[in-house]
Amino acid sequence: MARFAAGKAPFLRIADQPKQGTAVIMRDFMIGMLPVILFAWYKNGIQVYMDGNIGLLEMFYPLVFVVLGGVFSTLLETIFFLVTDPNAKTMKSLKQKLGTSFAAIPGLILALMLPLYTPIWVLLFGCFFASIVAKMLFGGFGNNLFNPALLGYLAVGFTMSGVINAAGGLFNQSELLIDAYAGATPLGLLARLKVLDYDLLVKPYGSLWNFFLGTIPGALGETSALALLLAYIWLSVRKVIRWYTPVIYIGTVFVVSWGLGIASGEAGLWFPMYSILSGGLFFGAVLMATEPVTTPKNPFGKVLFMLFLGVLTVLFRFIGNFPEGVGTAIIAMNIFTLPLDKFAAVVRAEGYRKAAFWKSVAIGAFILAIAVYAIFKGATMYAAFAAGGLF
Amino acid sequence: MLNQTAKGVRIEGKKAMSKHDGLQEYLNPQVVYIPLIQQTETLKRLVEVGQEVKIGQVVATREGWGPIPVHASVSGKVSAIKKVWHASGKMVDAIEIQNDGKQTLAETIRPEADVASLTKEQLVEKMKLAGLSGLGGAGFPTFVKYQSKLPIDTIIINAVECEPYITGDYMMIVKYPEKVLKGLSYLMRAAGATKGYIAFKAYNTAMKEALAPFLSAYPGIMLSEVKDVYPAGWEKYLVQHILKKNYQGLPSEAGVIINNAQTAIVFADMVEHNIPLIARAITITGEGIKEPKNFLVPIGTQVKELVAKCGGYAEGLDPAKSHYIAGGPMTGRAILIDELIVNDTLGSVIVKPMPLEKDHPACMGCGKCADACPAFLTPTEIQKAAERKDLELIRKLKATKCVGCGLCSYVCPSHIEIADFVDKAKVLLKKGA
Repeated sequence: MARFAAGKAPFLRIADQPKQGTAVIMRDFMIGMLPVILFAWYKNGIQVYMDGNIGLLEMFYPLVFVVLGGVFSTLLETIFFLVTDPNAKTMKSLKQKLGTSFAAIPGLILALMLPLYTPIWVLLFGCFFASIVAKMLFGGFGNNLFNPALLGYLAVGFTMSGVINAAGGLFNQSELLIDAYAGATPLGLLARLKVLDYDLLVKPYGSLWNFFLGTIPGALGETSALALLLAYIWLSVRKVIRWYTPVIYIGTVFVVSWGLGIASGEAGLWFPMYSILSGGLFFGAVLMATEPVTTPKNPFGKVLFMLFLGVLTVLFRFIGNFPEGVGTAIIAMNIFTLPLDKFAAVVRAEGYRKAAFWKSVAIGAFILAIAVYAIFKGATMYAAFAAGGLF
Repeated sequence: MLNQTAKGVRIEGKKAMSKHDGLQEYLNPQVVYIPLIQQTETLKRLVEVGQEVKIGQVVATREGWGPIPVHASVSGKVSAIKKVWHASGKMVDAIEIQNDGKQTLAETIRPEADVASLTKEQLVEKMKLAGLSGLGGAGFPTFVKYQSKLPIDTIIINAVECEPYITGDYMMIVKYPEKVLKGLSYLMRAAGATKGYIAFKAYNTAMKEALAPFLSAYPGIMLSEVKDVYPAGWEKYLVQHILKKNYQGLPSEAGVIINNAQTAIVFADMVEHNIPLIARAITITGEGIKEPKNFLVPIGTQVKELVAKCGGYAEGLDPAKSHYIAGGPMTGRAILIDELIVNDTLGSVIVKPMPLEKDHPACMGCGKCADACPAFLTPTEIQKAAERKDLELIRKLKATKCVGCGLCSYVCPSHIEIADFVDKAKVLLKKGA
């Protein structure tokens, strides 16, 4: 009886087991996004409806908006496959392609990063940038250099911010009625006032507890550290992300912000807390800086990447032009993913010894230099009132 | 992160299926084929077709690096020189010996008069005469390890069998516990070592129970339990976890020699009775085998006879959709087992249905392969360097440190043949150098 000799060692694969493999990892990732999506819906839909400020149908709008992001991205990728891929003409092969491309994810994340009253056509524009420009043109799933959703977000931010503001911006109907918000997000307020003062920066939004819960104005999915903490726990337990990556990122922002506060004359712990809980830091740290394709692969590379992200975020946020720095920092670091990967792999292979050790020290010194620059530059830009402070 | 101690990955053992029947002796096959190759060295044949041979008679020698003799494993007549399938995946020349069933022993096989007075040099010489090679799968000539210039203080007997399915070493130890201890004590004498460890997985309580009653007679020998992970049987893993030491190239740098449990058993026989390496244990197992079993067989036995003794293939096994594996499931080779013969490195043959086909996405860069790598390499980077044929980078990424355990491919959620890419990188290095 002739028998075949086929296959390569190892003949056991996790990917072959039921409920394992990349598709399951991506499914787990989407489950991880659920608390964020649900909170966005609660805060901007359900809560506002209960306040009596919108009708029943409008209550569903935030949810519809996020889902539309996913739908747009899937549709755009479908069209892309139909136009460019001769192998994707039948329903079956198309389904196969989309099934291994995880088309919905960039649009979903992008929608969560946008303000509530972003016009739908702007969302579509962003999805085009995310799915087609940043992902498919780079070669599809696994080959993109930049985080697709983030590139879509920056494209929208650079070209459409006026349009979004004109259409209603990021305040939901309940938040519009609160005078204390003065038409700004916490970071927007800081950029305008240039003063580190608890009463001016935190009080208008209640307390830091509200920052943690996410009941402050901001983009759809970004405000709630709590929802993102749930996502973080789920994703870490399911081993979709490494537990230490967001911790290092957020920790670095905390430490450097604290330094910046102290150098400016505000030593209170409220400021670093305010710094990590406002803007999109938790969102970026949990859902985007951990995105596997565009971040380094080995543990040492990840650690370096996160340290860089931390100091760059503070630099861009407090020293740069825009109120927020998370997105720019991540996109900027995406460029360095490939060299960092290579460098980290060599250092790790050599067992963290020899020449690579000094290169690591040099990189560490560089990170430190950025941090120190941010801190002292910050000290010249921000003033602090001696009075006030929670801690 | 900075602490580079191999961690390993838990893999389902699947060993229960071949543990029912104990160790079956099958020492008189009709015909055996002594392969004329060891590792990558071709052997020099010393017998002619038509010649009568006895058990233990030298029929070939390995020349060049690590010269050792190879012995007839049955008595009878050399009937042909034939090509047979070898576990290395190649067709090789082999000496066909028709068994006369008389089991005539060569004159050299006789009890050793005075075991106690054998010197270090004599013991190493015996190792060489026995044609002893690593029976765990590498086939490294054992005496070479004992010629190390470095001081050796510890011998570790590797009875971990960290690959799934395989139970040959386990069966041998449970059946011959005293021989393992004797073999280890002789190995210690041969190296001048004072400490000996027998390393095995903690769940193998039967092994521990078999060895424990004899331990008191062998001072300096300890049992050492390791975790149920793969590759806990890797030499460096054992040195790191048992002795808390590390080394770069060979274990002797840490003052350690590591031998397989069966190697120790054969050595005990050689020292006391001058019986060279003529038989080994092999596990015939897998979901595709009707009644998986372990056999003690002469080197050169045809695997198809053993499969027949296991009741043949499982019913409903689709030959086109099955893996036929020579060696363990993690490092073995797909092979035509109907023509395969047992050689010194073949510890198991596994037949199992292929898994169902799935669609697998591209690499998403999750880095699980790098996390799993016991040698702390980054397989994805090595793959990239190999694709670009960047030899300098492959060297820097220390592709040669890869032990070929296959964990990177095992953990890959996208079913990428990443271990194969690393292999290709190693081949590139060899060619380039």
